Amino acid sequence: MFVDSIGLILIQAGKTLADFLGMLKETFQALFRPPFRVGLIIQHIEFIANRSVGIIVFCVSFAAMVTIMESSYHMKLVLQEDSLVPGFAALLILRELGSVLAALLLTSKIGAGITAEIGTMTVTEQIDALKMLSINPVQYLVVPRLIACILSGLALAVISNLVCLISAMGISVANLGMSTGSFLLAMNRFVIFQDLVFAIIKGGVFGAVIPLIACYWGFRCTAGAQGVGQATTRSVVTASVAIIVLDFVMSWIFAHFY
Amino acid sequence: MVFMRIKVLIDDIGGGILFLGQIILTAIRTPAKIDLTLEQIYKVTAQSFATTAMAGFFVGAIMTIQFTMQLNEFSALEYLGGISTSATLREVGPLLIAFMLSGKVGAFTAAELGTMRVTEQIDAIRCLGANPIREIIVPRFFGIVTASFVLLSGGLVLSIIGGLLMGGLFAEVSFQEYVRHIPTLVTMPSIFNGLFKSFVFAFLIATICTYRGYTATGGAKGVGKAVLQTAVACMIAIVLSDWVTTVFTDTALTLIRGE
Repeated sequence: MFVDSIGLILIQAGKTLADFLGMLKETFQALFRPPFRVGLIIQHIEFIANRSVGIIVFCVSFAAMVTIMESSYHMKLVLQEDSLVPGFAALLILRELGSVLAALLLTSKIGAGITAEIGTMTVTEQIDALKMLSINPVQYLVVPRLIACILSGLALAVISNLVCLISAMGISVANLGMSTGSFLLAMNRFVIFQDLVFAIIKGGVFGAVIPLIACYWGFRCTAGAQGVGQATTRSVVTASVAIIVLDFVMSWIFAHFY
Repeated sequence: MVFMRIKVLIDDIGGGILFLGQIILTAIRTPAKIDLTLEQIYKVTAQSFATTAMAGFFVGAIMTIQFTMQLNEFSALEYLGGISTSATLREVGPLLIAFMLSGKVGAFTAAELGTMRVTEQIDAIRCLGANPIREIIVPRFFGIVTASFVLLSGGLVLSIIGGLLMGGLFAEVSFQEYVRHIPTLVTMPSIFNGLFKSFVFAFLIATICTYRGYTATGGAKGVGKAVLQTAVACMIAIVLSDWVTTVFTDTALTLIRGE
């Protein structure tokens, strides 16, 4: 009984993965085939980046303040002084928090939106209508979103890291009694150029993961009002887990390049 | 335009607080439905345990990798276990696992309640002379609070195991070495801090998703909108309350120690 259910779950997972890889292959084929819909891509960038930059800036700045306070707590615990906090916190922000937090926020804002949109299209048979008009739905729906989301991911990673560092500087001046000069000096001792490059790469990879998973669940949406809700939940959960796992893998790989 | 949005925001916050008050009043005044609550606890826990466990495991592993690189520069690798466990328990663990839960539990409950509201099942319950808040909302609310708290704590325990394994694999710190400094750096207040945060996050997720689902309007599209708003509102509330609880516990600790 128990073994049976495990086997069933494994088979289901394998089927889902194979399906997903099929869609990935189609997307890559469509990526390099004309027509290139530049207007659609710009429209999606406006929707993805412009509409979510406010919430990302807001959330990330608070997260940075908490990071500084917690790092100062730990530094006092181990080294009995907190003059090196900016360096540690800046590393933590650039290597982890900045990109991961932004990506998780983007998932629940953009990923859920994309799944709901495409899911509704699937349920109301608009995808079949596209096929009837001999428009490849993957090329028309997935590719513009993918390109737009990768570009927005790169841009949002830079913005969120920048905001993170600035608000970290603000809270260290206000709470830890540092000057901006000493903050930058302490940060400069630790942070190297690779940190910024890897943070941006992470942003791009997360940006690519979100629309792919969201579109996949949208296409597989089953009929009815519950189907769309279910697909949305699944897409958010899968994308969040994928982001954390990929973050782990990339941290491991990048650790060999410092 | 901006003023309208601010007005809508304040309206929403006020509505949420009033709704929370209604839930608590109903729970106090009328006898609770224990079996329904237990069912909700079981459903939420069984649904989300794998997700939170996996998230917790990887969060612990990531923190260990990051701290290995930083501690290596000070050649203080012996403190790895203590520091990464402490950071995960106090701060990063509850935050990221709560994000995951808000996506899973929050979105699911909002969609369920929203569908009930849109298909007029809630009105049907009221027509039958029962109180929908007592029948549907109260069991869900307390079920989600309890289950989320348990799930968050379980995720934190798994994050310690994830960190321990990564410490052995990546940093080549033996298990004994890793465990040795955990008790010296992870103090009782730190654990309390993590659990307190988990409780606050669980409370917020439960309030927001039940409120958003219960007040959904406008057909299938309205349900989708409610789900999206739940996810965004949960994230903002979690990040904000994370900051507030950190300041609060810091102040409380200094007051207790009398420094």
